[in-house]
Amino acid sequence: MLKYILKRIVLFIPTLFIISLLTFFLSTSVPGDPVEQMLNSNSEMGSSAKAVAAEKAYIAKRKQLGLDLPTFYFSISNQATPKDLFVIPKKFHRENLAKLIKQYGNWNEISAYYKALRNLEINTGSVITDSSNADALIDIKAGIQEILIESENQSIQFNLNKIEKLAVTTGLPALATEITNTKNLYASVVSKATTYKNYIPAIHWYGINNQYHQWITKFMVGDFGISYQDEKPVKTVIWEAVRWTVLLSFISIFLTYLIAIPLGIVSAANKGNIKDQTISTSLFILYSLPSFWVATLLIMFFGGGDFLNLFPSFGVPQPTENMTFWGKFFNYVWHLTLPVICYTYGGLAFISRQMRGAMVNSLSQDYIRTARAKGLNEEVVLWKHAIKNSLLPIITLFANVFPLAISGSVVLELIFSIPGMGKTAYEALVARNYPIVYTVVMFSAILTLIGYLVADILYAVVDPRISYNKK
Amino acid sequence: MSFIALFADFIANEKPIVCKYQGKVYFPILKEYAVKLKLAKFAPELNNIDWADVDYDFVLRAPIPYSPTTQDILNFGFVSPFGKQDVPSVRWRHWLGTEGIGRDILSALIHGTRIAFIIGLIAMSIASIIGILLGSLAGFFGDTGIRISRAAFLVGCIFVFLGLFYFNAVDGLFMGILAFLACMFIAYVVSRPLKLIPFLKPKMNIPVDIIVQRMIEVLVSIPRLFLIIAVVAISKPSIFLVMVVIGLTSWTEIARFIRAELLRIRNLEYIEASEALGFPRWRILFKHAIPNALSPVLITIAFGIAAAILTESFLSFIGLGIPPETLTWGKLLSLAQGGKSQLWVAIFPGFAIFLTVTLFNLIGEGLTDALDPRQKK
Repeated sequence: MLKYILKRIVLFIPTLFIISLLTFFLSTSVPGDPVEQMLNSNSEMGSSAKAVAAEKAYIAKRKQLGLDLPTFYFSISNQATPKDLFVIPKKFHRENLAKLIKQYGNWNEISAYYKALRNLEINTGSVITDSSNADALIDIKAGIQEILIESENQSIQFNLNKIEKLAVTTGLPALATEITNTKNLYASVVSKATTYKNYIPAIHWYGINNQYHQWITKFMVGDFGISYQDEKPVKTVIWEAVRWTVLLSFISIFLTYLIAIPLGIVSAANKGNIKDQTISTSLFILYSLPSFWVATLLIMFFGGGDFLNLFPSFGVPQPTENMTFWGKFFNYVWHLTLPVICYTYGGLAFISRQMRGAMVNSLSQDYIRTARAKGLNEEVVLWKHAIKNSLLPIITLFANVFPLAISGSVVLELIFSIPGMGKTAYEALVARNYPIVYTVVMFSAILTLIGYLVADILYAVVDPRISYNKK
Repeated sequence: MSFIALFADFIANEKPIVCKYQGKVYFPILKEYAVKLKLAKFAPELNNIDWADVDYDFVLRAPIPYSPTTQDILNFGFVSPFGKQDVPSVRWRHWLGTEGIGRDILSALIHGTRIAFIIGLIAMSIASIIGILLGSLAGFFGDTGIRISRAAFLVGCIFVFLGLFYFNAVDGLFMGILAFLACMFIAYVVSRPLKLIPFLKPKMNIPVDIIVQRMIEVLVSIPRLFLIIAVVAISKPSIFLVMVVIGLTSWTEIARFIRAELLRIRNLEYIEASEALGFPRWRILFKHAIPNALSPVLITIAFGIAAAILTESFLSFIGLGIPPETLTWGKLLSLAQGGKSQLWVAIFPGFAIFLTVTLFNLIGEGLTDALDPRQKK
């Protein structure tokens, strides 16, 4: 048995490794720049000093988040793509350069063109503004920003010509020559295209100083990083969320089992007659009811709609200090009733159906017939003999419920706006707040794996006929 | 239900089924299919006309004369089915009311049926293809069943890598697949002569079972809804993507069932018999083993369709995945959240979801009972 457990635990490692890779690469291929989002910088139109400061802030933030490192130990790309493309700070520029590389495949020319363009951006910013050239300068700046994220040949040329003309007409000869220079560099990018390089694979090796390595090594010692949004440690954010999810889950799991087991037994004992059919049918209907519909309807009917204003439609209790214990208690009950109903009914249907199945199965066994034959009354047979064996599969189901309880129900937490794990994870995902996303995914993965392992072990413990050693 | 899904366009459409307009007979709905397929164009005099307001000589309309996209400007802002409606006659009544910008709910429900069915069926087809393939490979061949020479393995690895590289490098999905297949073909050609080298000749095992089991474990460990939301949230909304993602994440159950089933079947005598007859193993697998293992899979597929429809309606409920102009059940339901006293917007789509899910669950349930040998007496 011990050997089996050890073997399973060793097999967790590759699984977790693949999961970490999967989440990591899903996040790196996402459009949008987290740094940009955090800084919310729109100072491109501001004065040159401000622009330089924003640029500096951008680079500093990127470094702080560790996004200035290569993503992985190695990268598989082509001959046309340089090894150190990741050094270029702005993500949108980087993506645009990648597009240019795909079109022309000549990094030397493209990088010269990009550098000229960046210089142009800085120099335009440092031109002293007066009333004669203010409008033109703004247009030129906007034009440069556009070219920086533009990869289509015609648009680039159109924009370059436009800003060149603007610079000439407003009497900025220095800028005009620089723009002409950039134009020439762009022309050589187009003329000296080496697209064939795109089709020769290349592997670049970066060593252990990369984003993935940094994240996974920190993760293993329990440092989950900081949330991008509010800069709180991920640990605190998740801890606050877990509280609600665990509270709700445990109440509803407890209620589920409390109601489901007797229901299952009663319905199995009366198998086939009207009682069983009523219970089975209503459970089946409950099982098929979409929880988000039920939640919406419950809120409409009981949560401050036009009908009954019994419960709050969303939110969690915020007990104040001066409340009595019972005051607090009723505050909790008042807030949590609707969510708990929604959490409970689906599982209730599932568990009691399982219970009924198991009970029907054990009632048809020989030992039950023996018990009946020796004259025990039906109650004792049901509640003492049959129940023991049919509880076993239900207990093992618990192991699967556990991880579910932690990752929470995204659906219900969103509808009732409970700040639990599901809602936190969903919001982090939408806001590209990766440290939280990684941590939630890894934790639910670990818990699920443990849950399955515990379920398998429980099977063997409660039913001696099952043995894993033969394998 | 499938009738509604198939004929949604004929049941609820603002265009007439048959009409006579300015002396000519038209079949606008049928014609629209041709227009969508770029086979034909609407006659020029029919372009830009308001189908609802034309003086026809003769007209046979769809039972519900509203398209799901039609906005009834006279009855917008959540008109109740029982309240007063500003409509020309009973014929034009919004039987189930309208939503915020005046779209007819019954019409949207009927067209939503089609989307729900398509999503359920296609997602589960994708899932069952992957699930049956991987599950049967794992179950039938186990860890020692597939043996290939070292040459084939090495060349295979290199060319799978190259294939993926060119899949990326080439523009477009179709060209990518073509490039990948070309690489596989070259790999096959190259590996043949290499087998003659003694060092590369010995055969080695491919542990299919372990690989597939780990894949299942990975997918099962990541919360499924979470994975779907992640992929859907980061890409452009499209129904196709939603179907593919649901399909790609829900094959694990099918694979598990078919694996267990094949583990049992591969030891049966008739498989041994066909091996003795000298049939190739692939043929035994596809022609003899899999057909006998399919029955438990049907159950999973029935439940899976129900789950896929639920997932889709949840996704559109929270506003992900489905393009904004398409009205689905889930989206209708989410419209009800905005304000109070729009019960009809919440109840009808929810009931439609519930009915469909129950239907497929019942099918699954029926199959379970029918296929369970213990219950046959």
